[in-house]
Amino acid sequence: MLYKKLDNWQKIPELQKLLDLSTPPRQLYYSGNLNPEIFKDCVAVVGSRKMTDYGSRVVEKIIPALISSGKTVVSGFMYGVDQYAHRICTESGGQTIAVLGWGINTILTGEDFKLAKKIISSGGLLLSEWETMKASHWTFPSRNRIVAALSSEVIVAEAAEKSGSLITAAMACKLKRKLWAVPGPITSRTSKGTNQLIAKGVAKIWLGESSQISFLPDDPLVQILLNEALTTDEIARKLQMPVSEAGAKLSLLLLSGQIMEKGGKYFIADAN
Amino acid sequence: MLIKIRSIANVGLETVPVDVEVDVASSGFPGFTIVGLASKAIEEARERVKTAIVNSKLDFPPKKITVNLAPADLPKDGSAYDLPIALGILLASGQVGIPENLDLTKAFFYGELSLDGSLRPTRGILLLALFAQKIGPDTKIFVPELSASEAVVVTGTKIFPVSTLSQLAGHLLGREIAPLKARSIPTDDEDILMESNLSEIAGQEQAKRALIIAAAGGHNLLMWGPPGTGKTMLSRALPGILPPLNPAEALEVTRIYSVSGLLNTGQPLVLRRPFRAPHHGISNAGMIGGGSNPLPGEVSLAHLGVLFLDEMPEFPRTVLESLRQPMEDGTVEIVRVAGHVKYPASFTMIAAINPCPCGYLGHPKRECKCSDKQIAKYRHRISGPILDRVDLFVPVSAVESEKLSLTGNKEVNRISSKEAKKQVIKARNIQSKRFKNEEKRSLYTNSQMKNSDVKKYCFLTPEAENLLKLAADRFDFSARSYFRLIKVARTIADLESTEKILPVHMAEALQYKQII
Repeated sequence: MLYKKLDNWQKIPELQKLLDLSTPPRQLYYSGNLNPEIFKDCVAVVGSRKMTDYGSRVVEKIIPALISSGKTVVSGFMYGVDQYAHRICTESGGQTIAVLGWGINTILTGEDFKLAKKIISSGGLLLSEWETMKASHWTFPSRNRIVAALSSEVIVAEAAEKSGSLITAAMACKLKRKLWAVPGPITSRTSKGTNQLIAKGVAKIWLGESSQISFLPDDPLVQILLNEALTTDEIARKLQMPVSEAGAKLSLLLLSGQIMEKGGKYFIADAN
Repeated sequence: MLIKIRSIANVGLETVPVDVEVDVASSGFPGFTIVGLASKAIEEARERVKTAIVNSKLDFPPKKITVNLAPADLPKDGSAYDLPIALGILLASGQVGIPENLDLTKAFFYGELSLDGSLRPTRGILLLALFAQKIGPDTKIFVPELSASEAVVVTGTKIFPVSTLSQLAGHLLGREIAPLKARSIPTDDEDILMESNLSEIAGQEQAKRALIIAAAGGHNLLMWGPPGTGKTMLSRALPGILPPLNPAEALEVTRIYSVSGLLNTGQPLVLRRPFRAPHHGISNAGMIGGGSNPLPGEVSLAHLGVLFLDEMPEFPRTVLESLRQPMEDGTVEIVRVAGHVKYPASFTMIAAINPCPCGYLGHPKRECKCSDKQIAKYRHRISGPILDRVDLFVPVSAVESEKLSLTGNKEVNRISSKEAKKQVIKARNIQSKRFKNEEKRSLYTNSQMKNSDVKKYCFLTPEAENLLKLAADRFDFSARSYFRLIKVARTIADLESTEKILPVHMAEALQYKQII
């Protein structure tokens, strides 16, 4: 992938915020079409490499809201929550900055390469402080400090107890950026990190926009989906309804956009 | 003296007549030679025949004996020429004569000899009987008694079960052997002892429904879910809800099993639809057939039945790819040195796959240990063309047992295999009526319809069509999945005995759309 050096980034007004760091990056390299405007209003969405269904739904909810208020989504291009945030952002027509944990000249393959192409074609950037650097255990925390510094707000979507995204969170605190954490079930290991951020009072609790459920049909099927996501089997069992009938109904509701399906489970489109 | 005995060679499912010419020369150095592209097994017939004749208290002539298997350029294999060779020697040496009521040009001899002179079970008897039936009305076949029952359903030829060589010699000297009485093909109406009954499987309502649809329309089905959720158990219940084979189909399946030598002694016909579940360590030749003289593989043994692929991504990729031709054409062609063989292979594929290598992706309680890359790699093992031939995709999710016990016996979705089978048979009957003019193309089920047939036979109500268009728009269907959905909807409508495809049927079909 083609890349360029960002000459004298210290002179770009939109990047002054990087100087908040005690050790600002010496150089910056990027791939994509540079428009300094992109750095203006950034929000970081970060999280674990291991993403659960819950985490992906959180990302799907956060990103469109950010885009519609004109923000740039910054994340770390690691698989899991980070890459999913980039992906959803490109799919929803937003711009995103992927800060790499390795040198910019590293050749990407497979899904990584496809995603990188998508990010660039949708007006986003790949960014790195190194030209030729191999990924190793210290490059990722180093990358995290840039993610935090670039953004005015950091949202931790889903993080286990020892997630790298907690380093980004700590960095955000240090830099006095606004830190948000999305609460998760207390039984879930992959939400322990985020829940602890909230419990310690370090992060604010992210509840999303309180969207009003405008209209829901008075259908028992929709009613039981209000509280939890269910599979077709569970719905048929709870309502004592033939599974063929339940399936047909679900397809119709799905097509009308009232419910959504993910990994075999159905949930109300905008109640969560 | 020269004697010509008729026999056959089976090349795949094709039967070729073979003349066994035996010459016992009056002069020359004593010896015993077999010519005519004989395999090792036939070469060894010399020892078997010699010993069997001696042990049957007959004389093996100490003369120059030459046996030719004509046509001489067709490679021949197997031990079934023992009987014609031995008989030829007995006739040519003048120990027995040809009775008046036996026309050697219309009698076929086929069977392997044991050293004590008795006949051993031999494969391919059904094909011999069908061949003799085609040749003419007064043909006779002499076959080992233990395999003779295979041929019992073939009318128009006399079948003589032979137990020993001396019995056959006696027959030629006037002690008649009673021919077998032809029987009509029984239809399987007794309840098959099932490995698992649908009513015994807890939960999985949707998967059970998909199984019924698959059985009714012959659709390929892919079940996907974590280990221990009952994918294998569900597929084992499938044989119990499949409709019985009709007589023509039974004959077709039995031919394949006869060639492979898989018929049990005393079992005249395969009456149940085959259910084949090969292990994923299977080789290419094992799956599609092979060997120097190609024998049918699993796809052919599953003909008109079910091929179950458990842990589908674990199968070698080449094996999965080799399924493409049979899934498309319903036949498989194997080319080997010995020749070019075509076996029927029209089966319903049921596949079970885990969502990821460790199996627990999306499991409510257990954590998945796989990385994104591993998961993507795992899914890539099944190629698009194979997935494209699957009509029904159904997630089989983990069932929490405590939730199940709460729902008592009056579960609306409870169904036994017997009830399911009734529904399936009803839907199949509707299909056979629909395709009664298409038998030449061997189009029997909804799943076999080509796109042109879909247009001809599947009528959608305008509302159903609208729904389909809406869904196509929303889910980005390919043209193929568009037709696939209509076919599934057609089967669902058949299960309800509805002539037109209604929106409910279409909506239910949408539940089984491609998920991976």
